[in-house]
Amino acid sequence: MSREDLTMTPNGNVGPAGGPGPASSAEGGRTPASGTGDVARELRQRIAGQFGRSLHIRTLDTGSCAVCEQEIRLLAAPHYDLHRLGFFFTPAPRHADLLLVTGPMIRAMDVAARKTYEAMPGPKVVVATGACALGGIYPEDPFVHGDAGKVLPVDVWIPGCPPSPLALLHGLLVAVGRLAEKTPGLTFLADGETR
Amino acid sequence: MTAVEPRAAGTMQELLRRLDDLNGIQVRGAPAGDTVTVSVPPGELEAAVHRLAGPGGARLADMFAADGDAATLRLVWGIDGGAAAGPRYLITESVLDGQQYPALSDIAPAAFVEECEIYEQFAIRPATAKPLNRLMLPPHGAAELPRLGHQPARPAEEVHALRTVGGQAFEFPFGPVRQAGVETLYYGIVTSGEEIVDLYLFTWHKHRGVEWRLRGRTPREAAFFVERAEGLSAVALGWAFAAAAEAAAGTGPPPPAARTRAVALELERLYNHAAAIAGLCQATGLTVGQSAAEIALERLLRLNAAVFGHRYLFGVVEPGGTRREPDGEALRRGLPGAYGELCRATDALLRTNSFLDRLEATGILTAEQVRRLGLVGPVARAAGLAVDARQASSSGDGQPQGNPYAGCPVRVATGDGGDVLARFRVMLAEAAESVRLIGDLLDAGTGAGVAALDTGGAVRSGLGWAESPRGEALAWVALDGSGRITRARLRPASARNWRGFDDACRSQNVFTDIPIIEASFWLTVAGMAR
Repeated sequence: MSREDLTMTPNGNVGPAGGPGPASSAEGGRTPASGTGDVARELRQRIAGQFGRSLHIRTLDTGSCAVCEQEIRLLAAPHYDLHRLGFFFTPAPRHADLLLVTGPMIRAMDVAARKTYEAMPGPKVVVATGACALGGIYPEDPFVHGDAGKVLPVDVWIPGCPPSPLALLHGLLVAVGRLAEKTPGLTFLADGETR
Repeated sequence: MTAVEPRAAGTMQELLRRLDDLNGIQVRGAPAGDTVTVSVPPGELEAAVHRLAGPGGARLADMFAADGDAATLRLVWGIDGGAAAGPRYLITESVLDGQQYPALSDIAPAAFVEECEIYEQFAIRPATAKPLNRLMLPPHGAAELPRLGHQPARPAEEVHALRTVGGQAFEFPFGPVRQAGVETLYYGIVTSGEEIVDLYLFTWHKHRGVEWRLRGRTPREAAFFVERAEGLSAVALGWAFAAAAEAAAGTGPPPPAARTRAVALELERLYNHAAAIAGLCQATGLTVGQSAAEIALERLLRLNAAVFGHRYLFGVVEPGGTRREPDGEALRRGLPGAYGELCRATDALLRTNSFLDRLEATGILTAEQVRRLGLVGPVARAAGLAVDARQASSSGDGQPQGNPYAGCPVRVATGDGGDVLARFRVMLAEAAESVRLIGDLLDAGTGAGVAALDTGGAVRSGLGWAESPRGEALAWVALDGSGRITRARLRPASARNWRGFDDACRSQNVFTDIPIIEASFWLTVAGMAR
């Protein structure tokens, strides 16, 4: 297999088209490796299996009514358990892949929102969460921008007032796909291979 | 857990007698109503506040201004004596003749936050050199932001805590963007490394100008924004606002609709207390307890959706009554299981010493501190003060407020430690009481129904209240001749109780106690900043 094959496809899988994705990588990992190409493939599959859906989320409240936050907290509760999907909340923007924005983007939060976004390493996605962030509650006026897209480059929009935890999970899974599109090809080298 | 009947306190008659000898006092309001309004000339305001706030007096529940030909200052006094005390709220109204009024927070410290707010919004200040803090409007661009009144000549001050204490302490900034799933809030923590020496908050990051947005709307249009001022109190704040508009229009919801609101309010209390308990477990690092409480929380939210069609009960209350009839059968079927889940979690927590030890003696507020700052809700009740806006007033059913609890009296739960453990126990007792009340209210008969709000072309105003999970929520609404809002004041419990948070954090607490205390207060920044 050539190195060109070892790129992440838009659907989040790593490998040649039709190859095993993250869900089946555990079985793939047990397949005996033969040759350097297989070693690289096995490594690639293991990484995809273990980290393919590892997504670290940072939340940013830009003026919500506190209900979206309650639903976001419930994502980690037993009924939804986002950890089983490889999603984690992170307390630091520098570890975050995804910014979950709630609220109508109050102008007083401009600096904090910009700093939070800029502190995140790329590739990153922004998910606007809830009717306020989608522009459905507050019109643009001196207090608020009115929707998250006016300040941040929003990739995924999750409607709802508030969006239920299942809607949030769906939105996060969509965001994973968007993140994959933004991810440049991974550059694993087979043994003995040089750039 | 002690569940006590409300204590006897000063009655309305007694309070009015205290004002008798002041000049120019005028008492208005129907004697049978829940609210009595008294006009107090500005010259007598200081004396009036001295008398009302004095020993055995009333609780300063709110203070706000309104702009007109002259600025009017209104103080809302709560009378917490239960049914025996007569009308529940006394409003003093003073038309100011300048840009100043007496320094009321020197007499009633509970007034300080409102003094700051009134200065920011109306450029009216107390006659004192005391610096007034920035509360709502951010430091950048504040001059261009719309206000309820006029812009002050000098901006509000950015008052921090003392930066150093004897050279040993330093200030630790935290926020405004905090950990996952938590609202925006800026803490300034002055610490010597572990102990909290001082703490102050900036909440202006979340100011959305909700009161400003309500002007010119009909109460029905405005209710949409009111619910979203503090979504976790959508029913309570919505009810307070609706009741204010109803009082202004001299009407009230049909009794079955009033009981429907009360069912929604108790469901709101149940899920909030479950969420607060999950928060307490998270803050103490007890993941198992947190998960168990969150299972109960999720079941309660799904029950809300099954009974009223919305997980957070948005849209249930509307001015005049409610258009939603609860699905009583779903409620009777689902509540025992969901509440049982909460009991399983909390029974285990009550046997977990590592959890209880962490709550005990943490974040103590004494009854005196609570009284001085005018705090409400479980925070006040855990310190022994039986403040509860659900207590039946003398008016009972049929009066504009149409108190649905008059037929199902509330046993107010109080504690005596004033610490996080006492608040936790109060929440447990209240959850049990809510389940009992829901049963009684369903038995009494719930239904939909909306009364027409018609002011008959007159300029009217009214006060409304409801007991939110975090304490008394108040609203005051003035309507013009066409039934549109000229001034609406929203005072969710969060707007009251954050002022006790720094005191609770200061009392011999360390860094790691802050999240525990915050969970036990269970406030929102959205409600404070509005």
